[in-house]
Amino acid sequence: MATKKKRSPLRDASGWVVVAADSVVGAPEEGAGDPTFARLRNPSSGGASLYLFGGGDAQVYEVKAFAEDHRSWFVGETVQRDGRLLFITPMDPLYLLLPYIQEAGAEGKFQPANQVVTDEDFPGCSRLLRCTCALESLRLVADEKEVANQRFYRYNQQKTLDWLKRKVERTVSVLKRSDVSVGGGVKSATYVRVKSEVDASDEDYLRYAHGLVSEYVSEDLSKELLRHLQLPEISSPKEEPPSKKRKLSDKPVEAGEDYTKFNSADFARKPQKKMTVAQKSLAKVDKSGMRPMSAFFGPKVKQEKK
Amino acid sequence: MPMSCYSSVTTVRLDAIKDAETPRVHSLPCEIEHDGPAEVSAYFSATAKERKHEKTVSFRGRGLKGQEVSCPKGYTGLILQEVHKPSSDQEDGVLKVSSVFNKFTYWNLDTPPSSDDGIVMAMSWPQVANAIHAPLED
Amino acid sequence: MDLSQFEADNSVSCRLTSPIPETCKTEDCCLGIDEAGRGPVLGPMVYGICFCPVSRKEQLKELKVADSKTLREDQRESLFLKLDEAKNFVGWALQILSPNTISTSMLQRTKYNLNALSHDAAIGLVQYALDSGVQLKEVFVDTVGPAAKYQETLSKRFPGVEVTVRPKADSLFPIVSAASICAKTWTRTTALDTRTVSFYPKTKSWLLRHLDPVFGYPQFVRFSWSTAQTLLESKAVPVHWDDDEEDGDKAAARQNNTSMLSYFSRGDSSGSNTHTHRFFTERKLQNLSSL
Repeated sequence: MATKKKRSPLRDASGWVVVAADSVVGAPEEGAGDPTFARLRNPSSGGASLYLFGGGDAQVYEVKAFAEDHRSWFVGETVQRDGRLLFITPMDPLYLLLPYIQEAGAEGKFQPANQVVTDEDFPGCSRLLRCTCALESLRLVADEKEVANQRFYRYNQQKTLDWLKRKVERTVSVLKRSDVSVGGGVKSATYVRVKSEVDASDEDYLRYAHGLVSEYVSEDLSKELLRHLQLPEISSPKEEPPSKKRKLSDKPVEAGEDYTKFNSADFARKPQKKMTVAQKSLAKVDKSGMRPMSAFFGPKVKQEKK
Repeated sequence: MPMSCYSSVTTVRLDAIKDAETPRVHSLPCEIEHDGPAEVSAYFSATAKERKHEKTVSFRGRGLKGQEVSCPKGYTGLILQEVHKPSSDQEDGVLKVSSVFNKFTYWNLDTPPSSDDGIVMAMSWPQVANAIHAPLED
Repeated sequence: MDLSQFEADNSVSCRLTSPIPETCKTEDCCLGIDEAGRGPVLGPMVYGICFCPVSRKEQLKELKVADSKTLREDQRESLFLKLDEAKNFVGWALQILSPNTISTSMLQRTKYNLNALSHDAAIGLVQYALDSGVQLKEVFVDTVGPAAKYQETLSKRFPGVEVTVRPKADSLFPIVSAASICAKTWTRTTALDTRTVSFYPKTKSWLLRHLDPVFGYPQFVRFSWSTAQTLLESKAVPVHWDDDEEDGDKAAARQNNTSMLSYFSRGDSSGSNTHTHRFFTERKLQNLSSL
C-alpha cells in the first residue's frame, strides 16, 4: 500500500472567493476610488483584524472567513486550493471608533475627534472618520460641544450603553425572524441542535444578541451592557449559589459567553495589565486614563499569568 | 517595532469588473494541493447528475452530493486575483475582480446536503450582521 | 483524450470516446462494431466502435490490425496504442455496461435479453458517431446471434448506411478488428478485481499518458485499483479528505496545530479572543488578520 499523503504547507494564496455586499462594487461615484483592505484594531480583542474601506472610505466593511478544513474551490476551469469563503459585510464604524473615544474620555475633557482617533499601530483608523455618518454617530456615545465651528467630544458611558442596548434589541428582533438557533446553548457530546425555537425564551434571545454585540466591544463594556440589559451575570456555582443569581432555567448557559470568570466585585479589583508600546506612549501623556484603557487593550484576566 | 506595523493596505481594482467572467463555482469537500488550470467542465461538470434537486458527482473515485447555494440578497460573489504581490508585510498589494458569480454549488463527501451544513449556515451571517451594524433609526 | 462526449455513471454504464478526426467529418467513412466481455461472469460488457475514412482502410491494414482473438494480450495492447496514435484518421468509442446494469436489465419484469441489450448498445454507438458528424457510409458488425435479422434491424434504423452483419467479422474486416481491439483492451482494464487483473506495461503507459493531474481518470476507471492508485499518488496532485487515515507524523502535526492548520494560523492572530460567540464558531466564521 502506498504511503499516506502528507499535506504540504499552504503557500500564500493568490486568489480569494468572496461574497461581498453589492455596495462594495456597485456603481462607485466617479473618482471615489477603489475599495482597500486595511487592518484596524479589533475593538473586542485589541488585536489586528482585517477590514475593507469602500471607495472614498464612505463605508467600512468587516471581513470574516468561512473556513472549513478540507475545502477547495473549482472556479471555472481552475482549482483554488484555499477553500475559504470570505464575507464582506457593512460595519458600523462607531464600534471601531468607540475604543478611542472611550479611552480619551478618561481624560475627562472635550476633544476633537481627529485628535482622539489616532493609533500609531493602526494609522488607517483615522479613515473611519471619513465614513458617511461616522462623525454624526459620535453623539450616540459622547457629549458634543461646538466651539468656533469645531466639534468636541467627550465619552458618555450612559449614552453608549443606551446605544448598545438598542443594537441588542434590534438584533433580537432580527434573530426572532431568522432561523438562527439561539436556545440550548451548550454544546456537548450529546448536543443536538434544536430545529424549533419554541423553547427559546426571551432571555435566551437577549443573551444571544448581547453576545453578538459583545463581539464588537471590550469585555468590560460587554459586562456593563449585561447589567444595563438587567441580565444577571452568570457566576460559577462555587462562588455563589445559582439560586441567588438568577432564576435559572433548565437550559445551560451559552458556552461562548462565559461570564463565570467574573463577578462585579472581581471586576472592580481587576489588576492593571501589561501595556503595549502604543499604550505606554499614551500613558506618558496622561496617566489618569490607564485603568479603563488597560481594561480594554489588555489580555483577558483568565489568561494573565505574568 | 516599526512605527506603523499595520500601515499597509491592499487595493481592490474594480476597473476589470466589467470584463469579469461568470464562471461556474464549486466548493469541494477536500483539499486539492493545486492552484491553477484544470479541466473542470470535461471531467467534473459534464459528469454531474441531478435527480430531484440532489446533485451527485464523483471526484477521484469518491462520491459527492451537492446543492446549489445562492448569494444572500444584496450580495455578489467575487473572485479576487492578486495583481501585485507585496514583497513584505509593509508593502501595499493590489487585487482585481477577475470573476463574479451569484450562486455556487457546494459538495459534501457522501452526506446529502442539508441546512445544517456549515456553508449554508454561514449564509445567514449578512442578515445578522445587518442587525448588528446598520445605523439605528432615531 | 477528448472527454466532451464522455458520460459516466459507475452504477449504470459509461461511454469513452476518442476525438473525432476531422477527415471523418468530411469523407465517407466505414465503421466497425464488436463486443467483448460476454464470457466472464464478473466483468463488464464493452462495446467498441472504430471508424475511419473508406479511402484509408488500407492504412488501417498497415497498422496490422487482425482478428484480436489471434493476438496475445501484449500485442493487442500495443495495437490499441497504435490506434490511439492514429487519431488523425481513426476514431473510436466504447460503451461500457457494468455488471450491475447487465443483471438489473436482464432481471427486469419485462425481459430484456442480452442480445437486445447488445443491439441497443451498438445502435447507441452508431448514433453517437452520426451525431458527432461522422460521414457514415458503411457499417460492419460482428455478431454471435442471427446475422440476417440483426442486419435488417440496423439497416432500417440507419437508412443510407450500408450495413454488413457477419459472424467472425473481426477476422474479415480490419475496421471490425480495430473495434474489437479497443473493446477487448478495455474489458481487461475494467475487470472487477485488481487481484485477478494484471496490468500490462502498455496499458500502464496508456493510463499514465491519460492521467489528468487534478482529476486522475474518467469515472469508470476504478480508483481503488492499485495500479491507478499508485499512478495517482506519484503523478497527480495530492488531494486530502477529512476521512483520510492519518499517519503518525500527520497526527502529531495535527495535535501541535502546525501543518494542517496552516490556513487558520492566518486567521485571527490576536489569539486573545477565546470567547468567540457560538454564532460564529457554529458557522466556522472567523476574523482575519491578513488576506
